[in-house]
Amino acid sequence: MISKKLAIDVLNESLATGADYAEIFFEDSTYYATSLENGKVETSSSGSACGVGLRLLKENQCVYGYTNDLSKKGLFDLANSLNKSFHSERLITVKKLDMIRSKNRNPVANSYDGIRREEKIALLKEGIAEIEKGKDPRIVRHLAHFINNHRFVAIFNSKEKWFKRESEFGRLVFNVIAADQNGFETAFEGPGCQQDISYFKTKIDVVKLARKTVDTALKMLTAKECPSGKMPVVIGNGWGGVLFHEACGHALEASSVAKGLSCFSNKIGEMIASPIVSAVDDSTIPQAWGSIDIDDEGNLGEKRILIKNGKLMDYMVDDFNGRRMGRSGNGACRRQNYRYCPTSRMSNTYIANGKSTPEEIIAATKLGLYTVGFNGGSVDPSTGEFNFGCSEAYIIRDGKICEPVKGATLIGHGDEILKKIDMVGNDLDLGQGMCGASSGSIRTNVGQPTIRISEVTVGGRGGELK
Amino acid sequence: MKYDKFFALAKEAGIQEAELYISQKYEISVSLFHGEVDNNSVSNGFTILARGSYNGKFGMASCDVWNAEKAAFLVKEIVANAKVIENEDPVFIFKGSEKYNKINYFNKNLALIPLEDKLAKLYELEKALRDYDKRIVEVQTVEYSENANSITLINTNGLKLVQKSNHYSYVGVVAAKEGNQAKTGFEVMFDNDFSKADMKLLAKKIGEKAIQQLGGEACDSNTYKAVLSPDVVSDLVRFYVGHASAEEVQKRSSLFIGKVNQKVASSKVTIEEKPLSRNLFARWFDDEGVATKNKFIIKNGVLQGYLYNLTTAHKDGVASTGNGYIGGGKMDVDLGFLAVRPGKKSQDELFAEIGDGVYITEVSGLHSGMNPQSGNFSLQSTGFLIKDGKKGRGLDLITVSGNIVDLFKDIQAVGSDVKVFPSAVSCSSVMIKKIIVSGK
Repeated sequence: MISKKLAIDVLNESLATGADYAEIFFEDSTYYATSLENGKVETSSSGSACGVGLRLLKENQCVYGYTNDLSKKGLFDLANSLNKSFHSERLITVKKLDMIRSKNRNPVANSYDGIRREEKIALLKEGIAEIEKGKDPRIVRHLAHFINNHRFVAIFNSKEKWFKRESEFGRLVFNVIAADQNGFETAFEGPGCQQDISYFKTKIDVVKLARKTVDTALKMLTAKECPSGKMPVVIGNGWGGVLFHEACGHALEASSVAKGLSCFSNKIGEMIASPIVSAVDDSTIPQAWGSIDIDDEGNLGEKRILIKNGKLMDYMVDDFNGRRMGRSGNGACRRQNYRYCPTSRMSNTYIANGKSTPEEIIAATKLGLYTVGFNGGSVDPSTGEFNFGCSEAYIIRDGKICEPVKGATLIGHGDEILKKIDMVGNDLDLGQGMCGASSGSIRTNVGQPTIRISEVTVGGRGGELK
Repeated sequence: MKYDKFFALAKEAGIQEAELYISQKYEISVSLFHGEVDNNSVSNGFTILARGSYNGKFGMASCDVWNAEKAAFLVKEIVANAKVIENEDPVFIFKGSEKYNKINYFNKNLALIPLEDKLAKLYELEKALRDYDKRIVEVQTVEYSENANSITLINTNGLKLVQKSNHYSYVGVVAAKEGNQAKTGFEVMFDNDFSKADMKLLAKKIGEKAIQQLGGEACDSNTYKAVLSPDVVSDLVRFYVGHASAEEVQKRSSLFIGKVNQKVASSKVTIEEKPLSRNLFARWFDDEGVATKNKFIIKNGVLQGYLYNLTTAHKDGVASTGNGYIGGGKMDVDLGFLAVRPGKKSQDELFAEIGDGVYITEVSGLHSGMNPQSGNFSLQSTGFLIKDGKKGRGLDLITVSGNIVDLFKDIQAVGSDVKVFPSAVSCSSVMIKKIIVSGK
């Protein structure tokens, strides 16, 4: 940790050449990762990340740098290498730093620091016992991981404010590889949260989770190839929200909106989705995977209504990009760690509940695709072109879920897909993922109830849907 | 602080052999938006990865600040991690190879060129992109970045190896628009010889990429003969060659099990790993300190052998091939610079030969649309129709699907249009018998 006095000195050194904002981001975090392969502990690693990121702003220019040299000299060297970008008189002198306090919505009752590796391994082995029980010979390899991270962050800025934030999270992963004469299939389950290990012991049924991973891998091994072409698609709840995350969420981040680079730039108040669609990005869900009390520039986390009954209401905004938009940030500024310059990002992003039951949605679909497992996806925010891959899917025939199919990829334009959502279920759930963008890889929840899209282009190797 | 303190502490704690892998990275980058500096960054990063054998098991730990406290942290964590390891694989801290083919790809002149000169080219690139075509509605970003990296490997068996490299890159992204259709174009150039920075050429490549896609629409869903651009081949080849990893073979999750000396690709395909090339991807020792060597992985379609680190090599009773690279918290098997041997035909000759088909220029969403284990893929793509032996209209909103091993078996010709990618791949266009396209 650096002292308040040193922080004031570094801020003032940074501001000497006319920056209108300066910010020190100090981070000290530790991580632990243990992996079992075919039931035996294969690797165990741990580490500490400690450094300072310094950000200077002047109007629409951002200068960022980081160092692992936390001495006064190291920090002054960094300040002087960055402030060279500006050449005017000092605008601001920092005289004091007042602490901002925020509600801790994500407390971890028992720190992972006190949990021995053996305890996490024992938890993983409960699931592995299920995988090994009467093991199907087609399961050729299985992996189990437990990852946890303890992060301490302190931010000092030229608004004469400072705050600190401590967070911990854990994630448990099962990954199963099945093979037969026709090839390989994999399945993956990975719940995570900002709660202590008791969450994984009491709220997650590890045995059931392991069984599900095995069953999915085996089911997909014998599944036919997914048909291709345009068809109605029902997207299952929870992880299905990766569609909204890719197709729309990224294009609603100020990092592309502010410069007019997003397909949703300058569209506040316009109908961008079907009237039955409402969507939210909420950093305030207690102990959720993507929640933050204060963002990475000191703004309080918020619940942002992005779309209400089809109308665009808001974006995810950070202060710097907000400058081009004539507004301040709304608590959406995030970064992986001190090595990344922060920008607007998602937290827990989901489509809100609608009125249909999932059963009604399936029953109302004559011929189409039902997707329930997902690998993730990507998007070009300026064109809205997105893709996402499905790890588990079924054909719907005459309103019934029929044969499993594999290898489906959905593509389209985000702005068009939102308008084609014609049914929204009432079974909202969230799924945990890692989201990668310019400020690094961060924890985000995706989510939605079961939804139906009237027509999507599906890529697969199975020929025409009949 | 010297690293002796760590080795002394490790010995005291009962760690029999220990090693430090020290990576230092200095980076500057500057980007422009609308003719003004938008972002610039200066960073000086440092990461230490420590490995040690404790009672015959490996423990691993990392940190990024170096002081006595962190040295003690690494030792404590190595012991705690090693104690829970259950697999019986032998562990190695390497004594060194007999001979190393040292490659020096550090150009000290690069840092001496004034930043103003480097930025002048960046402004030149932005202007050239704005002026390229009136349908270019936005230059989303242009960026200059410069890196100087060093890797140091030091261990208790007397090994000390240091490799340095540096390079710069220019990147540009533009948006082009026609009617309601928007497309982006992106390209990067990199080198460590500043005299090779040609902004006109780069602007032309970026502009062309965006403009050419305008007016495209989906084609009928069908199976087509195809030419894949070097960009697409570079995206696919690492997934394909990754199956030669001995680790994947030993763990029964490779598509190349039992395939050494057998045909795994068309006879037109020859792929070499060339870590000793004089480029920014050069590595003359791997992350275990084993001397690397250039080698054929696939020669005329035949798999030449598997890729080994020290542990997987020991299991198969062979020598390491110098493919031990750190990944995912362990010493993994990975690849250095890959070169797909070019053929003699130009891209136009490949189009002429194919007659009617598709030319796929880009694929995206590899992390979700490619199953690395099965090799099955279904990927969002852009490209063109090939009609009467010539490049025709653009293709928009399509996916291409197939299996990566089948695809490499289906290669009928390799083009002469070699391109080198930041992903450490050199390759050219290929012509394939068939690919499944989903469109209309």
